[in-house]
Amino acid sequence: MSKLIFEHGETTPLCSFTAAVPRGAVYDPDQLEGLTRHAAELACRGAGDLDREKLDAAIDFLGGSIDVEVDRDWIALSATCLARNLDRTAELACSILADPRFEASEHEALIRESLSDLDDVRDDDSSLADRHFQRLVAPGHRYGRTTLGTDQSLERLPLERARTHHRLLWDGSQMIVGVAGAVSQSRADRLVDQLTSAASAKGEQPGEPLPITPTPAGRRIYLIDKPERSQCQLVLGHVAPRYGTPDYTALMPLETTFGGMFTSRLMQQVRVERGWSYGAGCRMMRARSPYWFRIVTAPTREVAVPALSLILDMYRDIASNGIAADELEFAVGHITGSLPFMRATARQRMRLALRHRLLDLPDDFPLGLGAELEALDTDTVTRAARQCLTPDDLCIVMVATADEVVPELERAGLAPTEIIPYDSY
Amino acid sequence: MSWTFEVSHSACGLDIRRHRLHNGLGLIVMADPHAPVVSYQTWYGVGSRHEQAGQTGMAHLFEHLMFNRTEKHGRGQFDRIIERTGGDNNAATWVDWTYYRDSVPPRDLATVVELEADRMANLVLESPELESEREVVANERMQRVDDDIDGFADEELGRLAYTIHPYRWPTIGWMEDIRSMTLDQVRSFYRTYYAPNNATVVVVGGVDEAAVLDLVASHYGSLDAADIPVHPTITEPAQTEERRRSFAKPTPSPRYLAGFRGVALGHPDWPALSLACAILGAGQSSRLYRRLVVESEIAIHVHCDVPQFRDPALIRISTQLRRGHRPDQAEAEIDSVLAQLQGELISEEELTKVRNVAETDFWSELEGCDGRAESLGHFQTTLGDFRRLFEIADSLSRVSREDIQRVARAHFGRHNRSVIEILPDGDEE
Repeated sequence: MSKLIFEHGETTPLCSFTAAVPRGAVYDPDQLEGLTRHAAELACRGAGDLDREKLDAAIDFLGGSIDVEVDRDWIALSATCLARNLDRTAELACSILADPRFEASEHEALIRESLSDLDDVRDDDSSLADRHFQRLVAPGHRYGRTTLGTDQSLERLPLERARTHHRLLWDGSQMIVGVAGAVSQSRADRLVDQLTSAASAKGEQPGEPLPITPTPAGRRIYLIDKPERSQCQLVLGHVAPRYGTPDYTALMPLETTFGGMFTSRLMQQVRVERGWSYGAGCRMMRARSPYWFRIVTAPTREVAVPALSLILDMYRDIASNGIAADELEFAVGHITGSLPFMRATARQRMRLALRHRLLDLPDDFPLGLGAELEALDTDTVTRAARQCLTPDDLCIVMVATADEVVPELERAGLAPTEIIPYDSY
Repeated sequence: MSWTFEVSHSACGLDIRRHRLHNGLGLIVMADPHAPVVSYQTWYGVGSRHEQAGQTGMAHLFEHLMFNRTEKHGRGQFDRIIERTGGDNNAATWVDWTYYRDSVPPRDLATVVELEADRMANLVLESPELESEREVVANERMQRVDDDIDGFADEELGRLAYTIHPYRWPTIGWMEDIRSMTLDQVRSFYRTYYAPNNATVVVVGGVDEAAVLDLVASHYGSLDAADIPVHPTITEPAQTEERRRSFAKPTPSPRYLAGFRGVALGHPDWPALSLACAILGAGQSSRLYRRLVVESEIAIHVHCDVPQFRDPALIRISTQLRRGHRPDQAEAEIDSVLAQLQGELISEEELTKVRNVAETDFWSELEGCDGRAESLGHFQTTLGDFRRLFEIADSLSRVSREDIQRVARAHFGRHNRSVIEILPDGDEE
């Protein structure tokens, strides 16, 4: 398969490129959570002849951006620039891949910065809920560890390990390059050569990824105790089928019906009928391995417990009974009709294909989904629901003020399994 | 029913044409034969600026109510119809406008035109809908302000910096006003502001212009113009001395937010001020970022911007500090950076940099149909002419180093600023 995903577009004088490898934070060694992210960020803090200040100035001068993205399954270096500045932008990106400086002073500064980023996460209730949910939903799961790191792991990150890790992650033989915008095919081909050469073939893995663990049996409620909350962030979920499998496809209309649109059941019951929250939805997350099914909402404190009870009832109902035929038809129409919106610009088409390649799926996988979805019937959806959705084996994370919520939770038979101080992780 | 062609412009290799219907409805069309989607947006010339004290948040609450039933379509039907197409819709309210966006496949354009014309004129407003949306908006306020430190700080800045201008109250409204809005007030608001002569429809994407003109005329042509009140321009009195307030919140990260009296989007100095803000805060090589985040490590984030408002806006410098650092430390560094900007001309290299940044940002906004429609609708509604988008972008290339120094001296003075500090609980001075 070609390393290049290319989408030409001349509507603006911009171009974008992304160099990605299917190796991400799942390769963080034990006790060194955050290493992949740290290595990827640190590589952008000085490369070749340019220290951090000069590298930042060189990138900003072009008016564009070069950023690193760290996922659990992959990392990517992405750039956007004016077409006239592509050559220089590519040079700088290659320098980051091939010759990052990894200076000790920048390493230490980045650690301090990441520790502050943890404060930032704890300040934002939605991010805070998500952070705890990730680690609690299926302990030991490869996607359960934080990509940012913890206070303890960040303090332990060794510079030389980061350097080695970076070198092993960026393997040119594994690289996929996406190019989009006001750029020719021949220039895109040359860009692939430049980027893959900058990240030479290594022939070895950066480590062993973590295993995939199941959702523990039973319902677990974790209350993340934070003072003065007028709202409660709720995240509920469990491990779900892997994107691209027949079970995942069979559940897509159910996901849409339950919480994937404004007119979904969750949104209608929680927000429209009762006004309990600004939003309510669900999502089956997409990765190379089985990831989470998550329900998210943020009711006011006064109705947090009734909202949780309502959602649990609704989830039990749909997990047992599936969806009606008219709901299936509507959801399939919505999903297939939404595809053009995901592919409307050259950059969107490139990113969509790249994302699927990184998920180990064909570039045009979404285009074939329509036929599979249209072939579904309610029995198939219900079977998948009963097999894969586990309302009784569930992790529930609530960010709230414990004193105000716990008594009511206990009265409702939803006593917390554990109360966790919000700044403890 | 007749259209009057008004003006045209070209961008992205496409024509953009504005027409006006006999009842005052504006229509901007940017047809793109290669676009597989259509963005249909309706921009109303009413925002929180048009509210009155005691009814703050009305424009935003009303935006929520627009998604309820009409005489023809039952509750929830609007969203249902759009979602059936595979498209989606949303809306936003800000200080100078409220806009509604529908993104649909081209084959469903007629459906959207019918829906939007219907709710412009035939919305049903009753108590159950009002009460339900009131709770949703109250929830939204809690999420965005009461439980959000930065949202809270922003709101307090507006309250402190403005004394009489309606930019002083938050678009989402004060909670007591959200809770007390009556059905009569809501209905009156609808009748007053939701009329064709207070709206511009913007259509971008895979459409045929002639077909759009016919479609829009057929659905909106029978709607009557309203007597839109002309709000007198309220000039906020000049600020003669610094204003400050401090608050305590449960956070380990203090905040420092300064608002300097700036200019309106249509003011000749807006481009220079925009580039001055880029010098200060755009990218990791920007002056404030270098000083606060990299060199002194006082801050986690720093931002500097001047909003695109119809009336003079606040130039905002906001920073989230690292644990253990104080707002006065951040202020000292910021003052030093501002003094340097005022005292010395920037280099030619820095000027080229921020022009390149502005150019990239400009084109990034115009990459997709939704972004194009939004840019056109914003400038048409805020400044009365969508072509100002391109004029202002063009003028950025003519801003000189002297212009930047001049606007920095004119606006970044202590007498001209209002400051909000957020301190961790227990650290209050």
